[in-house]
Amino acid sequence: MKKMKKVLCLLISACLAFTLAACGTSGSGAPAPTSNTPASANTDVSAPSNEAPVRSAELTIMMSFSSFMEQWETYCRQFEAKVLAEDKIELKINLEMPSSDMYDSILQARMTGSDAPDLYTIHSNNIGVYTEAGNLTNLSGEALAGKIFENVKNTVTVDGNLMAVPIESQAWAVLYNKAMFADAGVTPPNTLDELKEVCAKLKDKGYTPFMLAYQEQWVPQLMTALTLGGKVTGDVPDWLTRMYKGEASYEEMRDIFEVINLIMENGTSRAMEQGAEVGAAEFANGAAAMFVQGTWASNTIMTTNPEMQLGVLPLPVNNNPNCTLVNLSTSTVLGVYPNSTEKDLALKFANYVLDDNDSAALFQSCGFNPLATSHKYEVSSWVADAYKYVEDGRAYQDLILPSSVTDEQGKLMQELYVGSVTPDEIIERLNKVFQDANKLSQ
Amino acid sequence: MRSKKYENLNLLIYVFPALFVYIAFKMFPAASGLFYSMTNWNGINKTYNFIGLTNFIDLVSDSYFWQSVVFTCKYVAVMLVIANITALGIAVAIESLPRFKGLYRTVYYMPNMISMVIGGYMWRFIFHKVLYYMADNWGWSFLDQSWVGDTRYAFISIIIVAAWGAVGYLMIIYLAALQGVPAALKEASSLDGANAWQSFWNVTFPSILPALSICLFWTLNSAFQVFDVVYSLTGGGPGRATQSVAMNIYEEAFKGNIRYGYATAKSTVLFIIILIITAVQLRVMRKRGDE
Repeated sequence: MKKMKKVLCLLISACLAFTLAACGTSGSGAPAPTSNTPASANTDVSAPSNEAPVRSAELTIMMSFSSFMEQWETYCRQFEAKVLAEDKIELKINLEMPSSDMYDSILQARMTGSDAPDLYTIHSNNIGVYTEAGNLTNLSGEALAGKIFENVKNTVTVDGNLMAVPIESQAWAVLYNKAMFADAGVTPPNTLDELKEVCAKLKDKGYTPFMLAYQEQWVPQLMTALTLGGKVTGDVPDWLTRMYKGEASYEEMRDIFEVINLIMENGTSRAMEQGAEVGAAEFANGAAAMFVQGTWASNTIMTTNPEMQLGVLPLPVNNNPNCTLVNLSTSTVLGVYPNSTEKDLALKFANYVLDDNDSAALFQSCGFNPLATSHKYEVSSWVADAYKYVEDGRAYQDLILPSSVTDEQGKLMQELYVGSVTPDEIIERLNKVFQDANKLSQ
Repeated sequence: MRSKKYENLNLLIYVFPALFVYIAFKMFPAASGLFYSMTNWNGINKTYNFIGLTNFIDLVSDSYFWQSVVFTCKYVAVMLVIANITALGIAVAIESLPRFKGLYRTVYYMPNMISMVIGGYMWRFIFHKVLYYMADNWGWSFLDQSWVGDTRYAFISIIIVAAWGAVGYLMIIYLAALQGVPAALKEASSLDGANAWQSFWNVTFPSILPALSICLFWTLNSAFQVFDVVYSLTGGGPGRATQSVAMNIYEEAFKGNIRYGYATAKSTVLFIIILIITAVQLRVMRKRGDE
């Protein structure tokens, strides 16, 4: 019995020693940089400080970029080294990246529970709500304010105040396979009739015109975002203003259903069984010639098929070429919590995101588009394609719809695909959701 | 007298940790939820207004909420029947086995040890990939259906996965009850010439009624709060076709208009619905037990 006890004690001690050793290594080790991680230009991450740190500090950063965890982890380690070298502060950054579908609920729960992170990302559409709730710091006086491109700055400004650091800004529309287009002898269409012709020619060549991946509601919602944006900008510029006043209707947007039906009728099968990622991979493997999806999917597409000749084309809504536009938007932004206990360090990190020396490498490694003067790097060919439309004035600023309307559009597009609603019912339901959102905002 | 007091105090000390957790994480949130249901709090703002019963009045005309209530009731009804009949059937089959009872018990109980979110994702892979593979390569064309995307089949898929997850737990309760049925009664019935079915229906089944009551109570409660299976399998879609009440509440609180107050009002209504149905069910079962 005594012997047994001794053996047990030894085993427990061994386990404890192993656990402690494991803890020790994980605390000190920064992830090894790979080809995908941003290379620091000036900051030497591994440079040890000669002097002892004055104090230690901790920052919690919550981000919705789980696919870029490695890049941001490395960037945080660079910032820790920078703070240690410049301020003699031993900083520890806790980088949290919950999955994107749970992100909003986790962030809101933490805000409610007085456990707000020092910095956090949100969608640019929610800047107004978070500003009103007093959860964002005004960054107008920070150095970063002078670096952001003017058209991007507008998307993160509330009442003349810069409330967040833009991270993801993009021009996007429909992704297409240039090789398939060339093989079928077609070029990007400018009108709906031309799009119909493109579909027919692609089918003649044996290609499926559109990739459909509607399992997640935000993907079919992209069709309404693009068609509404094009239609409003080209035909009815005051529609959104009137909708907010309760003086307009989705009836004026009825055009959008023709192109949406065209896409659904000329798409791949089993759309409800395909998620965004799987859809992107299938598209990369040649399942279809076009995919209504943003340039953010390029990472998956190019990883799946590095030989893919990817392009971006605007989606025609009707036969008015002025409605055939690409979307220019800022999606993810980084905010600083005003009551952060380490607010100076949080602000310093916000500035470091657009740092003159290190930021470009980070943005390039994540595949983000340039949005500040510090971002001097060459963009991918498909991003250049999209920005060519922006330069030609064929772009619209993303329509800021109430979040409930955007969510509803996604749900209704799924229902339209499975045939459980008609365009008339969609118009009626969207009008109601918009009116309810207006009522709540009063 | 003193020793009785001491005994009570002793008991209180023992139950205190569980009681504290129950009060802090169940009772307090439930009570504060009742308060928030009468506010217009959006979950982000630090301030909110007391708006009385406005949220409850809005709820009456909220067609999406009532649609989710109908879906949930349908789900509860089907789950009550499918899960309990399957669990009882498996329990009886295992109990009648001469060997390997432990092995079968473990195998059937295993799904219960997996989180239903993970189980849901596993089954999604089966519905999205495996069944289509079988349809495309083995010629089993009847499997070529939109199991998760079609409103007709999505409900069936949800029931399959939910029953798969719940049957193991119910089976253990039924097995325990079956083992408590006196062997003498069964022997007597067989001596009287009863066949297997007659013996089960007239001897075994009446003896396991308390277990049936527990299983029905548990299924009813958990089915009314169904979230994880629906969330991981269909996300409530297509559109809102498979949205349960719990999912509708979640969307109200964390998506769209972000209405925490309104969402807690919905939770309160769900609580009242479950309370009423459970009370009726317990009364009926107790009455039957007395008889």
